[in-house]
Amino acid sequence: MRRFVLKRLLLAVPTLFGVTAVVFATVALVPGDPVLAFLGPGASPAARHELAGRLGLDRPLPERYGDWLWHALHGDLGASISAQRPVTQLLLPACGQTLLLAGAAFALVITGGTVLGAIGALRPRGLTDRLSGALSTLSLSAPQYSVALLLIAVFAVHWHLLPSGGTHTPFGGGPFDVPRHLVLPAVASALVPLGLTARVFRAALGSVLASELPDALRARGLSRTAVLRHCLHNASPALLTIGGLQLAYLLEGVVFVETLFSWPGLGQLLYNALTARDLPLVEGGVLLTAVFFVGVNILVDTAHAAVDPRVRSSR
Amino acid sequence: MPSPRPARRRIRAGAVAASCALLLTAATGCGGGSDGARAAHTGRGGTLVVGATGSLPNPDTILGGAGYEGTALVGFQIYEGLTRYDLSKADAPAPVAPALATSWQVAEDGKTWTFTLRKGVTFQDGTPFDAAAVVFNLDRYLKKGSPHYTAALGAAAQEYGSDIASYRTLGDGRVQLVTTTANGHFTDDLTHLLIASPAAVRRYGPDGFRNHPVGTGPFSFVSQAAGQEIDMAANPRYWRGAPKLDRLVVKALPDPAARSAALLSGGAGLIDYPNPDDLPRLRSAGARIATNSYDHLWYWILDQSTAPWSKPQVRQAANYAIDRKAIAGDLLGGTAGPAYQAAPPGTLAHDPHGDVYSYDPAKARRLLAEAGYPHGFSTTVTVPTAGSGNLLPVPIAEAVQRDLAAVGIKAAIRTTDWSSLLSSEAKGQVPLGSQALAQSTTLFQSESLLPLFLGTGSPFWTGHYSDPAVDGLIKEASASVDPAVRQRDYRQALDRVTRDAPWLFVVNDRNPRALAPDVHGFVQPQSWFVDLTSVWVGK
Repeated sequence: MRRFVLKRLLLAVPTLFGVTAVVFATVALVPGDPVLAFLGPGASPAARHELAGRLGLDRPLPERYGDWLWHALHGDLGASISAQRPVTQLLLPACGQTLLLAGAAFALVITGGTVLGAIGALRPRGLTDRLSGALSTLSLSAPQYSVALLLIAVFAVHWHLLPSGGTHTPFGGGPFDVPRHLVLPAVASALVPLGLTARVFRAALGSVLASELPDALRARGLSRTAVLRHCLHNASPALLTIGGLQLAYLLEGVVFVETLFSWPGLGQLLYNALTARDLPLVEGGVLLTAVFFVGVNILVDTAHAAVDPRVRSSR
Repeated sequence: MPSPRPARRRIRAGAVAASCALLLTAATGCGGGSDGARAAHTGRGGTLVVGATGSLPNPDTILGGAGYEGTALVGFQIYEGLTRYDLSKADAPAPVAPALATSWQVAEDGKTWTFTLRKGVTFQDGTPFDAAAVVFNLDRYLKKGSPHYTAALGAAAQEYGSDIASYRTLGDGRVQLVTTTANGHFTDDLTHLLIASPAAVRRYGPDGFRNHPVGTGPFSFVSQAAGQEIDMAANPRYWRGAPKLDRLVVKALPDPAARSAALLSGGAGLIDYPNPDDLPRLRSAGARIATNSYDHLWYWILDQSTAPWSKPQVRQAANYAIDRKAIAGDLLGGTAGPAYQAAPPGTLAHDPHGDVYSYDPAKARRLLAEAGYPHGFSTTVTVPTAGSGNLLPVPIAEAVQRDLAAVGIKAAIRTTDWSSLLSSEAKGQVPLGSQALAQSTTLFQSESLLPLFLGTGSPFWTGHYSDPAVDGLIKEASASVDPAVRQRDYRQALDRVTRDAPWLFVVNDRNPRALAPDVHGFVQPQSWFVDLTSVWVGK
């Protein structure tokens, strides 16, 4: 098991290296000038030249990348051009906000997906199956942007039940202030992965239930709940795989939700950094996202191996 | 976007609130609340939450980095310069007024300025404002090697301070500033050279000050989430009298739908640039839409170094071809006005009798035929997808494209992002090699910037427009400290530009803002900036 994890960790290194190199080159090669974006059109050519020199933008690209990599390896991601602050100072709070949002959405996805999927698998073709099937299809196929707008229109604008965006009420707000702000964006981000998870889990549990396993267990005199527990356990690797994928999707896919709900997470930060051609901030953000992805993948594979001994022995 | 029927909101909201009471213990307040009851008697108080369009500025004085929007909502709220804009009136372009200086004289040479400083002003941290503070701040911006100078500050100060050759205190509360050339808009420039508390700069250092900014402005800084939200409180010691508001919150809400939703749900009391399509819905929910003329022009820069834009008749023909009223009224919902001349209304150069281009497609065709293009021609234009002040760049460009096509000018639109566009422009090139470029600009809000865009060989010389007479007039106007001379020369210069039509004048934005029904006392001036001292929030 330790070998398995170690191998996956070692494989992550070239992945991260490749991602940062590609992004560095792309952002540097597309037209656009971070100095101009920062100083605005009003800056004199002399001022622009001076700032570019101070930021080291006049040096050759490989040299700049090497420099960046060397500092990154020492935990220094440089300073943002547009915000004039260390990149880590901007990334860490944004990262926390994204994790909070993605985490809340993930909890919705897993609980909702399991419940909907199990209902469908246990009572196939019943009314509850049809309902849960319709719900998961709806959440899968409804255009997320419109659904998010609809949520805002109904719950924030029409009924004034929940805030339309942001993470907190300025100057105060009660102990439930942050959770209240979290509800709508979390639901909006959870919709698609929830539908997908419900479908996959329904199929997985359905095939376990249709196999000889439940009969065999019952023949051995196990109780109804014990049989169900065993069946759920056998269906759980599918949940892990799809759940891991959805977590990655959520970390990346909350960008539009963050924009619409003014949630100051990584997605919004990266978007602004890209429009400002703020290379250090883009690089830092991408590195962090890549670390997330690789980390989630390793976690899922490890969990998979822990649940299913076949995975361990096959590698 | 989907919109509920707001007319029925109140009735249904009541019924639902009752049925949901078990599920949700607390319904959200829409701002005000108990504050509102108190405010009803006094006409002051409350917290104003402003939804801004872009990311928020660095609150360290001139570093900003978030355009005029950032200066308006944060820079000018926390700080002041020796001068300020008087933004209390809506019926004329906002004039320059005394701020930290009460009066000034300029010597015969037009370069030596003596400012008498206001007495009894204290910074928000309680330390006194004096002549030493002025010199301290100018050192910080302009004097390389002085203890608090940084390269970033020096670069930012170029915009408004590059003209300052020397400065010194004269004793008895006066300072002398000398400019390198005669500068008629020097007092305009000085509104932007913000004066920070020397004690706070010394205490927090170059990296800490942005988290503890201190000025003399109407609102003091309380806290911030960098780039996302800045919280401020009324400065009770403000020399013009404490602002009526208790608190001011500026939030970055870049998504237009999010801004409208924030206003409608009570999350914001004032939003900048609501989506024109949302206006009817905002109005029916009781919101007030404030607009006014200010220095803004949405235009195409025509590259006249190439045919056919090199011919004046062709450029004039294009200007007669577009239905500006339809764009301003139908597409932009009245948030902009038609631009019939180069100088925007709300600027000193605007001539009320200077409108030239009506909507006259027949005349456009005639001019095209005279220029040798009876069947029109094909051309290209680069349009940014977004960007500060660019309104709805692609839809407006498409409307212009339709109007031009009607007279035979077939313009293909190429879109690019704002940052790419600016960087090509800074090299004097039209991005993507097109023959025209769509964008917006200000001309006079900061006269120090005018020579960047207009004049032979200017740094952003994208259209290669050159008229020595215009160059001369602008130079003369800029150097004159007599407002009447400046106005006369600018009007003449811009009138020549209008007639020569190096640009396609499309619309002038009217700086729309939406205000919640409980926001009172807001004045929309003819300016990019706002005075929030008269505003209060309550029922």
